[in-house]
Amino acid sequence: MDRKLTGKYAIVGVGQSPLGKVPDMGPLDLLAVAAKNAIEDSGIDKNDIDGLITRGPDDINNHHQRIGQVLGLDVNFSTSTDNGGASQIINVAIACMAIEAGMCNTVLVGYARDSWSRSHRNRSANMMVQTTDPSLARREFGPEFGMFGAPVNYALSARLHMQQYGTTKEQLGSIALAFREHAQRNPLAFIRKPLTMEDYLDAKTIVDPLSFYDCSIFADAGGAVVVTTLERAEALAQSPVHILGFGFGNNLRGWHYGDHMVNTGAKRAGETAYSMAGVGPKDIDAAQLYDCFTQMVLLQLEDYGFCEKGEGGPFAASGALRLGGVLPTNTSGGQLSEAHAEGMLQVVEGVHQARRDYGPDRQVKDAELVFVSGHGGATTCQSALILGNHR
Amino acid sequence: MTTYNKPIPVPSPSTEFFWTGVKEHQLLLQQCDKCSAYRFPPSPICPECLSSDYTVKPVSGKGTVFTFGVYHRLYSPAFEGDLPYTVGMIELEEGPRLVSNVVGIAPDDVYCGMPVEVTFDDITDDATLYKFKPAG
Repeated sequence: MDRKLTGKYAIVGVGQSPLGKVPDMGPLDLLAVAAKNAIEDSGIDKNDIDGLITRGPDDINNHHQRIGQVLGLDVNFSTSTDNGGASQIINVAIACMAIEAGMCNTVLVGYARDSWSRSHRNRSANMMVQTTDPSLARREFGPEFGMFGAPVNYALSARLHMQQYGTTKEQLGSIALAFREHAQRNPLAFIRKPLTMEDYLDAKTIVDPLSFYDCSIFADAGGAVVVTTLERAEALAQSPVHILGFGFGNNLRGWHYGDHMVNTGAKRAGETAYSMAGVGPKDIDAAQLYDCFTQMVLLQLEDYGFCEKGEGGPFAASGALRLGGVLPTNTSGGQLSEAHAEGMLQVVEGVHQARRDYGPDRQVKDAELVFVSGHGGATTCQSALILGNHR
Repeated sequence: MTTYNKPIPVPSPSTEFFWTGVKEHQLLLQQCDKCSAYRFPPSPICPECLSSDYTVKPVSGKGTVFTFGVYHRLYSPAFEGDLPYTVGMIELEEGPRLVSNVVGIAPDDVYCGMPVEVTFDDITDDATLYKFKPAG
């Protein structure tokens, strides 16, 4: 792995929108507010931003042309990617590559969606948990069999993992409980109500073996970050958070192919990111893992090398993911409790932890290296990012 | 026939032959003439060797439940009477995997690796679905 980009670029500002029920704002409005907050956090002049990358492709998902108009930006380089929840880290990486290639100097990366408002417009949208344009829905090999929604694919994975490795429902529950405990420390998190194992096990089943608290929280939510060269970063307001490594793995043959439901593209994504950063999983102080479902956290703990394949359940149940544990994970509450913004808020939280922005109740003590992941695009795309507070 | 409220599959140009076969109670897959691999979903090229030459063949309809989930939450009112229902990933003897329902068995009795065989459900005068039941 070529290491020439490691530490050469930095995240110099982060921002987020209000999270939760924000009925007076659409996705572009949420992203505009997050972007404004990120720009102000960085202290950069808006007119110095000459790159813009969002997760596309439509207005629901923040097309770059639309958000550029809202923010009043004419730029050298802009585009929207379409790798679902893996897009946000890909976009940070593309920002580095575009700057490296001399296309631009300072890039705004962001994403927002109005999933709570969109899925609560009417009874049908609520029943279908509709967050995207219904015209994009699959029309064969799924809905005719009653295969709807996102949970089913992770239920298929959880069932296999339980059969192959003896993973238990309680072990999945320990992931939901850890993140909820973290959300209680985050005053901006959408869902902060205490969660017990009894609550978890008694909750209504969605697609067995997954139940209510295995699923992330639909929220109106957005986040944004500003990426630039280390040189520029050093003149700005915040101490820069170094982009030390990134990597990607896309199992495009599909979630249902081969062993992909248990051995994901995260393995390849992690290996590339670790190699670029020159570190390994044991060096990581905190993780912000893409938690659309508890099962996806479990798979990533294994595939990113934080424990052996098949050991994700016992690892999570040991308390490893809690603040004070060996791998404090999703310290904002994650998508399971804070808000689901397709991984964008995990990048934001990773930067806060690397900057040591928090008081002792929320800050991972002495955090130097933070691992952030993304996942999505019909379950096949994985992205990994390693952030650090020194080179 | 009573009114059928559930989604009816909408074939694409490459899947038309498959659904026509299902209508005639046959499971048809493409087999590559060059490397012999069966494939699903249908495609003009073989994903193993990229050959464009293939033959559409009826397959045994036998396979196993690779993995499955059981729906307890209702996403569409048309499925209300079916809850809880099983959506499985069926691995055919010939290799490819298909999403389908596992029927004729209580969801609690389904297991990964369970032998199954295809059964056809004429949902309307014009449309048929393939489903899987415990191998007999």
